[in-house]
Amino acid sequence: MITSEVNRRHFLKKMARASALMAAASMFPGIIFPKDQLSELPEGADISWKKSPCRFCGVGCGLLIGLSEGKAVAVKGDPASPVNRGLCCVKGYHSVMALYAKDRLTRPYIRRNGQLQPASMEEAFDLIAEKMQETIREHGKDSVAIYGSGQWTIPDGYVASKFFKGGIGTNNVEANARICMASAVTGFMTSFGLDEPMGCYEDIDHADVFVMWGNNMAEMHPVLFSRILDQRLKRGVKIIDLATRTTRTSTAADRSILFKPQTDLAIANAICYEIIKNGWMNRRFVDQHTVFKSGKTNIGYGLEDHFSFQDEPKDRTFADFKKFLEDYQPEKIEALTGVSAKDLKYLASLYGDPNQKVMSLWCMGMNQHTRGTWINNLVYNIHLLTGKISTPGNSPFSLTGQPSACGTVREVGTLTHKLPHGVVTNEEDRRMAAEIWNVPLEKIPAKPTYHTVEMFRALDRGDIKFLWIQVTNPMVTIPKLKRYRDGAKKEGRFIVVSDVYPTPTTDIADVILPAAMWIEREGMFGNSERRTQHFAQLLQPPGEAVSDTWQLIEVAKRMGHGGLFPWSKENHIEEIWKEYTRFHEGKKHAMAPYELLQERPGVQWPFVNGQETKWRFHSQYDPACTKEGYDFYGKPEGKAWIWMRPYEPPAESPDTEYPFWLNTGRVLEHWHTGSMTRRIPVLHQAVPHSYVELHPEDARMLNIRNGDQVRLISRRGEIVMPASVNERGQPTRGQVFVPFFDEGYLINELTLDSFCPISKEPDYKKCAVRVERYQS
Amino acid sequence: MRSRLLIIGMCILLMIGAIYIVGTSLAEDNREAVAASVDTDPTPSLPIEQGVFRRSGEALAYLEMPEGNNSLNSYYDNRAYPGAPPSIPHPLVTEKGIGGKDCLQCHQQGGFVKKFEAFAPVTPHPELLNCKQCHVPQKTSQFFRATNWEKTAPPAIHQAAMPGAPPVIPHDLYMRNNCLSCHAGPAAPKEIRVSHPERINCRQCHLPKSGADVFLKPRVEEEVFFRPIGSNEHQSAPLEPDQLSRIRNWIGLLDQ
Repeated sequence: MITSEVNRRHFLKKMARASALMAAASMFPGIIFPKDQLSELPEGADISWKKSPCRFCGVGCGLLIGLSEGKAVAVKGDPASPVNRGLCCVKGYHSVMALYAKDRLTRPYIRRNGQLQPASMEEAFDLIAEKMQETIREHGKDSVAIYGSGQWTIPDGYVASKFFKGGIGTNNVEANARICMASAVTGFMTSFGLDEPMGCYEDIDHADVFVMWGNNMAEMHPVLFSRILDQRLKRGVKIIDLATRTTRTSTAADRSILFKPQTDLAIANAICYEIIKNGWMNRRFVDQHTVFKSGKTNIGYGLEDHFSFQDEPKDRTFADFKKFLEDYQPEKIEALTGVSAKDLKYLASLYGDPNQKVMSLWCMGMNQHTRGTWINNLVYNIHLLTGKISTPGNSPFSLTGQPSACGTVREVGTLTHKLPHGVVTNEEDRRMAAEIWNVPLEKIPAKPTYHTVEMFRALDRGDIKFLWIQVTNPMVTIPKLKRYRDGAKKEGRFIVVSDVYPTPTTDIADVILPAAMWIEREGMFGNSERRTQHFAQLLQPPGEAVSDTWQLIEVAKRMGHGGLFPWSKENHIEEIWKEYTRFHEGKKHAMAPYELLQERPGVQWPFVNGQETKWRFHSQYDPACTKEGYDFYGKPEGKAWIWMRPYEPPAESPDTEYPFWLNTGRVLEHWHTGSMTRRIPVLHQAVPHSYVELHPEDARMLNIRNGDQVRLISRRGEIVMPASVNERGQPTRGQVFVPFFDEGYLINELTLDSFCPISKEPDYKKCAVRVERYQS
Repeated sequence: MRSRLLIIGMCILLMIGAIYIVGTSLAEDNREAVAASVDTDPTPSLPIEQGVFRRSGEALAYLEMPEGNNSLNSYYDNRAYPGAPPSIPHPLVTEKGIGGKDCLQCHQQGGFVKKFEAFAPVTPHPELLNCKQCHVPQKTSQFFRATNWEKTAPPAIHQAAMPGAPPVIPHDLYMRNNCLSCHAGPAAPKEIRVSHPERINCRQCHLPKSGADVFLKPRVEEEVFFRPIGSNEHQSAPLEPDQLSRIRNWIGLLDQ
């Protein structure tokens, strides 16, 4: 019976189709099938919508990608995503257009006699494997390196780490998140012993006051900023912008407070001083859940090769801390910071008010800082002194810049000292990795090698001979660029670049591999709030392009490490996920199963007993806590560390010869080096080129008008570019600002490669330049 | 003596009461501090229905308003694909700031803007203040690198199930659920200007229809179209792809 029923249905369908073909509308009386109605059926109506996280920033918005005839044709925000709830920014809405520029890399190139010439994938993989083996044979394992990215998917990073650390046996694995997030990591590690925020974006729905620490959220994390603006309309929350430059965020804020570069260290200490002085400290919280520590001071700037630094934490008491803060009385630091004592006290009163829930937000302003770890510690100090942490709306929140800086670099651990769980220096962690990877324990070296800046220095010196660069564009982004570009071009260096478009980095490559981008392959990203988001392969990659994951596996196989990657092209992402998540088992970091990731628009870890953990370190929300109330279980004593971190000046400050600060950063429309966003017509046309922003008073003094050509000179290099006066942003007097997205104006030729000695993250926000009007 | 005792007794009672009240409220306070409420309504920011009646107060006024000159072509010229946020086609009032009031002074209510000699289109989502987050100016007509991007065709208008039936809504409603902001007033593209703005409850008659997920049954074997039933001999010419997709659509309709 059932079969005949099916047959009948099938027959009816066929009938319907056949009659459609013949336009035999008369067979179905009552149904109108006139020609002109057909003609008005919508064109392109067969768009199907599939979920994916956005390709661009660390917010991790959920998108719905409109697909039609094998192409992505439209984007809308995913209303089911708890991140963005249906809203995107202009980059997200136009993100799919980045797949379709005409100069997409669709086949590999090999440099022969100085010229990049087309080749086949097989040839390219063979050559890379051969070169790597030759280099290892001649110069040792630590002469080959990989430099990846916070835009690596989780499987990309996992395979890179397993290949290099478990297969080859070198810790030469780094990623551009080092120049973006490393200070956030060391901030978390030193204060709490575990990386990544305790809170989540939902804090925005609960907090009463938002303090942005050097963070132009309106442009850099626009969707989250819109969530805050939405809360202001609904609940009247307060937004405070604490910055060195007047930005869109400043003008949208309830209060804009400008300070002199680097003095955020003093400001944070002054806030702590006021909190204690006025009795706003949550004494019970401080007594029960914190300890006081101090570290080394006068710790240097890493300007010289082979710089090394090891902090030594010392136990301190509350009395020591109180005494330490004496130097930071608001009145005493007015001149240093440029912030009035009144404003400093106002800031302290916001944090100190027991009835206000406060969320602090920061990103590159605090991380790209020669004392980046310190300033992260200091902002945690404020939240710890007042007990405003780990509960809804009480949240020191470190935002990330890249879609998977957290998911890949921090969680998989694609940094020289890291493993997917723990660090290489810890034998237990190495043992775990060796076990899961099924390699001998001795294979994984116990000593970290080069952090990013030092890796490029090693390339220049010749300690590294082979470098594979994936999903990033260091020939635009490395500070003091000229030294490192010249170094990379030296004889005897072999550079492989995997990318989707030609960039200044592919210009110096010996082999270019075309990569499958974003939804042209399957993968996962992890965003700022510990949310892992899966995307399926929705499109065919162009030409011969394959994913970064598979590129690594192909080369590993050719080098005899195929046993580490026993997966097929069809199932490797799922298998990688299953293997990788073994590293994170347990209540402190458990990850969601693969099937669930496919279903949902992101799942937050720790994922325990089928539940996401929204707030860590409090027993009410976090099942990993072993005691009632707060439990900072990342530290052995279960207590968070309050650090005594002083103000110290930056590596280079303006002087009579170079009287201006140079600050660099992004604009809303462009993502990083613009290799994708500049190929999206809408975005390129909105901001077609870079510029130098000047304060109108400075411009007037130098006789520079908007649009004039200006020459910037630092001790490292010089550049001529158009001035922007009274436009989007306004630096404080004595400061200029340059967006770094434009490969036509390589501002990093001027920047300084000083870094935070603890995190090794360079400071892109502060160096000294001279400014001249340019006459050709 | 007795009255004195009475007064003392009353004082004691009052004190006990006061202690109790202060104590419980303190305890309450402590609880609050630890377990700040998590139960605020996590209403999505963009519920699809929220804007339907938003401009209905203006409805009668729309009847009196003059007709502008905007066309659907210029409407779509300004978007990268149907449904994309439009870019800003005029010089910015100011480069500074997120947009907010600067944009809303014209785009919240609409009206004739002398500076640009045009009627300002009305935004369907005035509550989203970071305008420049999605809407950006165009400062050059050049490309950085050439692109293969092809804009998909906009949905056809006047789609109705029967002659005289109310046309369906052929586009997505996210961020565009306030009908009157684009379909009424002098800035509305003339092809889609509604003849009856006073009939406020638009979606009483006009239903959304926006793509395959509504009408199309997927996985129709295409070869079926090429063969009339029962015979393979008189094969008709293959259909053009666009004809095919239209027919597929129609069949989807039948299957429902």
